[in-house]
Amino acid sequence: MNEGQSGVAIAFEQVEKGFDGRKVLDKVSFAVAEGEAICILGRSGTGKSVTLKLMIGLLQADAGKVMVEGKDMATLDEDGLAKVRRNMGYLFQSAALFDSYTVNQNLEMPLHRLDRNKSGEEIKCRVEEALKEVGLEKDGRKLPSALSGGMQKRAGLARALVLRPRILLVDEPSSGLDRITASEIDDLLMKVKTEQHTTMVIVTHDIHGARKIADKFAVLDQGRLLAFGTPEELDRRADQHLQAFISER
Amino acid sequence: MLKSIFDSIGQVTLFGARAIRDAWYPPFECEYLLVQFYEIGAGSFLLVVASGFALGVVMTLHTRSTLVQFGATAEIPIFQSLAFFNEIGPLVAALLMAGRVGAGIGAQLANMRATEQIDAIETLSVDSFKLLVVTRVIACTLMLPLLTIFMDAAGILGGFLSEHIWSRLSFTLYMQRAFDGVALADFLPPTLKTAVFGYLIAIISCFFGYTTNEGSDGVRKAATNSVVVSSLVVILADVILVKCIFFLFPDQAI
Repeated sequence: MNEGQSGVAIAFEQVEKGFDGRKVLDKVSFAVAEGEAICILGRSGTGKSVTLKLMIGLLQADAGKVMVEGKDMATLDEDGLAKVRRNMGYLFQSAALFDSYTVNQNLEMPLHRLDRNKSGEEIKCRVEEALKEVGLEKDGRKLPSALSGGMQKRAGLARALVLRPRILLVDEPSSGLDRITASEIDDLLMKVKTEQHTTMVIVTHDIHGARKIADKFAVLDQGRLLAFGTPEELDRRADQHLQAFISER
Repeated sequence: MLKSIFDSIGQVTLFGARAIRDAWYPPFECEYLLVQFYEIGAGSFLLVVASGFALGVVMTLHTRSTLVQFGATAEIPIFQSLAFFNEIGPLVAALLMAGRVGAGIGAQLANMRATEQIDAIETLSVDSFKLLVVTRVIACTLMLPLLTIFMDAAGILGGFLSEHIWSRLSFTLYMQRAFDGVALADFLPPTLKTAVFGYLIAIISCFFGYTTNEGSDGVRKAATNSVVVSSLVVILADVILVKCIFFLFPDQAI
């Protein structure tokens, strides 16, 4: 894939990544188009979260290329990485809210760090707006420890969205949540996708939620990309191993 | 076993060297640094002062029972001040800081690692090492000498109170005797050596917290190791630093 290729938000080209001699990703290639939502499915420990961390530059690939908006993540210096990350949001599995900061301060931090042109008043307005989008407008002054798991996830989502990113990376949005709360998070992601046309990469075990949001599935198995395509395409395949990952039963 | 110990020492040394190098380059994270000054300095103040005061009282009681046999109770104030300036103040303040601050840093950073908060900081293009480690190292290095001065003062005050109750010695006379013959070399080098203690405590605690990746068990290990290793290293470093002080200020050794 060439640098600057239009229409492609993220591309993996023959990406390999290992830890302590164990290969977690083995020659994985796929591309995510702008505005598209893909769900990465697979068993635990098959490199799904690693894939997200490679996309945002928290990890570097051992081999192959990770391209984000036409930029090779391996070649970027700190400034280049900051520019790419300016357009990316990341919702962590545990929400990863800074526990000594209030919800408001958690949301202000990305704006202070990555959007230095904004005034204090603009930052306050943007934070209020982001909290309203996730239904937490009355909880801004609370510490994360005072929030339920679902509220923490929503606050984490608000922090990921506060910079209005073009790309949103989501790690296990429904983990640790009950079915109803997980569904609410899925609805929020759907809203972001349809209203803001944000490119999304979602790692999940929840096939029900994945089918609601995803335009495409990427199925990882033992470090390799087992299948990549729309849910309908993959449903038509007669591969029982694949169906075990994508079937709702 | 031996190899892993040397390996760990090497890693901590590199970690410490990186902290020193990064401290000189912007961004300086001033806002977060002030928070650390407050948490480490103000947060330890009461503990240090209360401990110093209690130690001062106890030290005087012990010294009195010995010196009274030689009719040298008039020397109690100078014994007290020299003991605190030279060793008790710096070492006890450092050990208290290793316990309170070291455990706190180790546990907090390990928890941040386990809950992906450090990764979250990195996704905002913030250098988490500078934000979390360098600020704590600077705060500990600068705050410990200050806390030591407060511990010395509290110890001498505690000693005065104890002595005043026993012998009705006046405050002025006690202070006159306590500082008569105390040279700057008795006070300054031992107080400044605590900056090294503060640096060591912060580096060791940050190392265990920042580099762990073992979930809740990692938090427990980081907190325990931070206290145990930093306390041990402070005591060992004290031996070396006292030798250095004696070398640089030979009058102190007499």
